[in-house]
This record gives sequence, C-alpha cells and structure tokens, in this order.
Amino acid sequence: MKSLDPRVNRLPLTGNTSPKVLLDQFGTFEVFVQAKAGKPFQHEGVVHAPNLEMSYLLAKETFTRRFTCVSIYVVDTRNVHVSVLTEDEDNAYNHVTEVASSGNKVSFEIFHLFKRGKQHQHAGTVEASNPNEALWLASKQLKTEKQVFNIWAIHTDDIRFTHQDDLDLWHTLPDKKFRDAAAYKGGDKLKSFLEELKK
Amino acid sequence: MYGGGNIFDEIKPDDVAGEDSIKLAEFEARIDRGEKIEPTDWMPKLYRKQLIRMIEQHAHSEIIGALPEGTWITRAPGFKRKMALMAKVQDEVGHGQLLYSAAETLGKSREQMIDDLINGKSKYSNVFNYPTFTWADCCFISWLVDAGAIVNQLANAKGSYGPYCRALERICAEESFHLKYGHHCVIYLASGTQKQRDMFQEAIYRWWPPMMHFFGPSDKISVHTEILMKWKVKMDTNDNMRNQFLDMYVPKIWELGFTIPDPKLKKNTATGRWEYTEPDWDEFKRVINGGGPCNKERLEVRRIAEERGRWVREALRAPKTEYITPLA
Ligand SMILES: [Fe+2]
Ligand SMILES: [Fe+2]
Ligand SMILES: [Fe+2]
Repeated sequence: MKSLDPRVNRLPLTGNTSPKVLLDQFGTFEVFVQAKAGKPFQHEGVVHAPNLEMSYLLAKETFTRRFTCVSIYVVDTRNVHVSVLTEDEDNAYNHVTEVASSGNKVSFEIFHLFKRGKQHQHAGTVEASNPNEALWLASKQLKTEKQVFNIWAIHTDDIRFTHQDDLDLWHTLPDKKFRDAAAYKGGDKLKSFLEELKK
Repeated sequence: MYGGGNIFDEIKPDDVAGEDSIKLAEFEARIDRGEKIEPTDWMPKLYRKQLIRMIEQHAHSEIIGALPEGTWITRAPGFKRKMALMAKVQDEVGHGQLLYSAAETLGKSREQMIDDLINGKSKYSNVFNYPTFTWADCCFISWLVDAGAIVNQLANAKGSYGPYCRALERICAEESFHLKYGHHCVIYLASGTQKQRDMFQEAIYRWWPPMMHFFGPSDKISVHTEILMKWKVKMDTNDNMRNQFLDMYVPKIWELGFTIPDPKLKKNTATGRWEYTEPDWDEFKRVINGGGPCNKERLEVRRIAEERGRWVREALRAPKTEYITPLA
C-alpha cells in the first residue's frame, strides 16, 4: 500500500493479518478525581487495565492531562458495592435495611449520587464488617436531608490511592500551556491582517 | 468527533411494538422532564441499539480521525506546532476511550467494538476517508472539521443518556483548545506568504465537499429519525446542524479572503437559512461503503496496530482481572 503517511509506508502491510483472538480484554476499573484540595473525590469514568497499578497510570493519562485535579484514585469495578438506583422523591437509603455486624470491622468509603445524570461523590468513611452493613451504617452516619439516588460502598483497602511520592505526576502540568486554548490567541494577528486586506 | 453523519439503522414501525407500554410511557416522561437515563434504568431495545450504534461510531471516528492529523505530527512546521498537534491527537484518542466506555455501559464490550471496526462492520465519520496531502489539509481538519464536530457534540451533550452526556462534557472542554489551535494555524497561513495562502485555498477546494457531507444526508433523503429525536438520541436534524455550522464558520472563512467552491452558497436573509448546491450524496454513499480514497488504508493501519500490539496485551494479560461492564 502506498500511503501519504511515511509511517504507514514503513509498516509491513501484508494485507492478511492473522485473525484476532476474541476476549483478550483487560479488567475494568473505576476512576475518581479530586479537583481541588479539600473538595470531595468524584467519580469520573473508567479505564481498562491488566491490574490496579496500571489502571492508576492509565487513569492519570485519560483524566488528568490538564490542570484539573490534585489527586486521583482507582478501584476494580468488581469491588464496588452498588445500591439500587432510585427516582423522584425516593431516597436510595429507603431501601437500605439493618444488617448485623459479622465479625472484624474494616473501613468502607461511601459515595452518594445527588442528582441523576451527575457523578457520584465521596461522602465519608464507615467501619463495617461487610458492604451491606456499610450501607446501613452510612444511613445512620452520612445521610443528610439531601436526596440520594444511588450509594456505592468500597472497601478502603481495595482502592489504589495517590501516594505522597506520586504527587510529582502533575508537577509539569502548569508548563504544558500548549494544551490550553488560551495559548492560541490569534486576535491581534488577525486584526492587522484584516486591516492590510482592506487596503 | 465527527458525526451528525451518523448512520442509524432503518427504523420499522413495529420496532417498539413489543415494548411494555407502561414502562415506555415512564421512560418517555423521564426524558420529557429533562432527566437522564442511566445504564440500570429500563429502556426500549431500540433506544439501546441505536445509542450503541451512535456512540460507537463516534468513538471510532475519534480513533480513525487521529490518523489524518497524526500523520502530520513529524512534519508540522516547527516545535510549537508539533507539540500542539501531538496534544490534540492525544486528546482525540482520549475521546475515543471515553466514548467506548460510555457505549460499553449499554452492554457491548470494547473488544467487540474494536473487532467490528477492524472488520469493516462499524462505520466512522466519512470525512476521515480523505487524505491530508499538505499541512494546510491538516489545518483544515483542526479548525473546521473540529468546528463541525463541536456543533454536533454540544447538541448531543444535551441528550438523554447519562454516560454519553458526561463523556461529552469532558470532550467539549478539550475541543475548545482544538478549535482555537486550528484557527490560529489558519490565521498564520492566511496572513503568510502567497504560497501559504494558496495552500490553504487549495485545502478548502479539496475539503469543502466532504465538509458538507459531514453532517449527513439531507433531511429530504435521510432515514426517519423522529423517534430518536423524541428520545433525545439525535438532537437535531442533519440540515439544521449543517446550517448552524455554515452560519458560524462561512463568514470566518470569507473574512480571511478565501473562496468557498460553491457559487450558490449564500445566506437567505428572509429565512435565515443558508442556501447551497446540494452535496453529491451518491459520492457520500460510495465513500461510506468503502469506496473512498483512504478507507482501505485507515482500516489497515488499525489492523496492523492491533496485530503488532497483540504480544504486549498478551504479556500483560492477567487472569486475576476480568472485563466487566462499567458502572456509569
Ligand atoms: Fe475529539
Ligand atoms: Fe477532531
Ligand atoms: Fe477535536
């Protein structure tokens, strides 16, 4: 194949690549981003990765190419315990029932969905022996007057947090002005060109 | 992205006939109230099917759209342009990632989508089946094809499906850089040497027909999408989107002293609508069905990338992780 793209011309295009093996997909991981220090973490989306550590790096590339965050964390989607999704006046906590403690307590991070169509926000931490108990305790400790449509509970130890020595990942972001619209001010050049054109 | 020119499946009158009428009424009432539909909500089969199709096409368009611009990174004029174009192309691929994830929430796996792209089963925006001969072609894409994409994406961001809207919000924020960067490049060509001006003028001659195709077939001949508009899957008609684009950008192109190759192009001051020569829809169909100058190369590049990257994915493959549908 003759291409305009020099890179394509360098490729060994055979035209008969061997068939692709199905289902070699990676795992799914949920990504949470903290926009500013002191603000709650918010769910941003997902990445696919072979493990938790790689998912952290891919999340950094996918969600923080610009100066919009101070910290991120990731968790395997299978480790997110999800409540029912409610509508109208129905609070998701109405569907949470009392669960007895079943042994050793560990920490769970609780997330609330305040508005359908928006993203889950971190609400706080509870100490529980299982995810259902975590939801029950959240209904006692973290529920406010604010309507909640959906609740997530994640065992804190399952989360890959940003460590102190990861923080330099974002250090060079302010230098990357070429990623921002503000770096492309063409107004003056355009104005003088248009004046030139009129003459 | 890229795609008012979304190709929807033909909709038959009995497509919603089998649906539970109470659930359907609740679903439609929710959309009418301006609420979003989330992955675990009940939805008609037709809604799911057409949304997957649309979001998937959008995702493929980002990935394939990175190719005609990507080819100019090494040859972009100067260090600054190289950095900017590299950042833009990286964004486009990132948009693909966000959109694939949104489509996955509807139950189609990412791998199945990639397979369908490689096998030629899924479509992507037609405009990327044309070659970028010169740097000016690349600038045309950065400014005007992205401008068209923005018209489309801003409309779609007000649609009914939550995960798609959230992906589009992120995407639209990054598009403002693409648009400004593209316009900046064109201002420099326009105010440069005669040779530079000629280069961009020639790019306009080459790209105007595909640009007019970009928003898809005229409403007079396109498939009926009333129900998709009612469900806020499709947010406006192809002709309305095209008109909006012309309204915003034709004056900017003319302002720079360039000629658009359509003698009929003018705004009807009485109706507020733009008039133009009817684009060649046979050419559009020919290209979308594989007959364009670059269709073969675009898919071949994806196929090669998939094949060459296979050993990496195999080496990284970890039995402990498992692909599952994203949550939101
Ligand atoms: Fe994009
Ligand atoms: Fe683009
Ligand atoms: Fe773009």
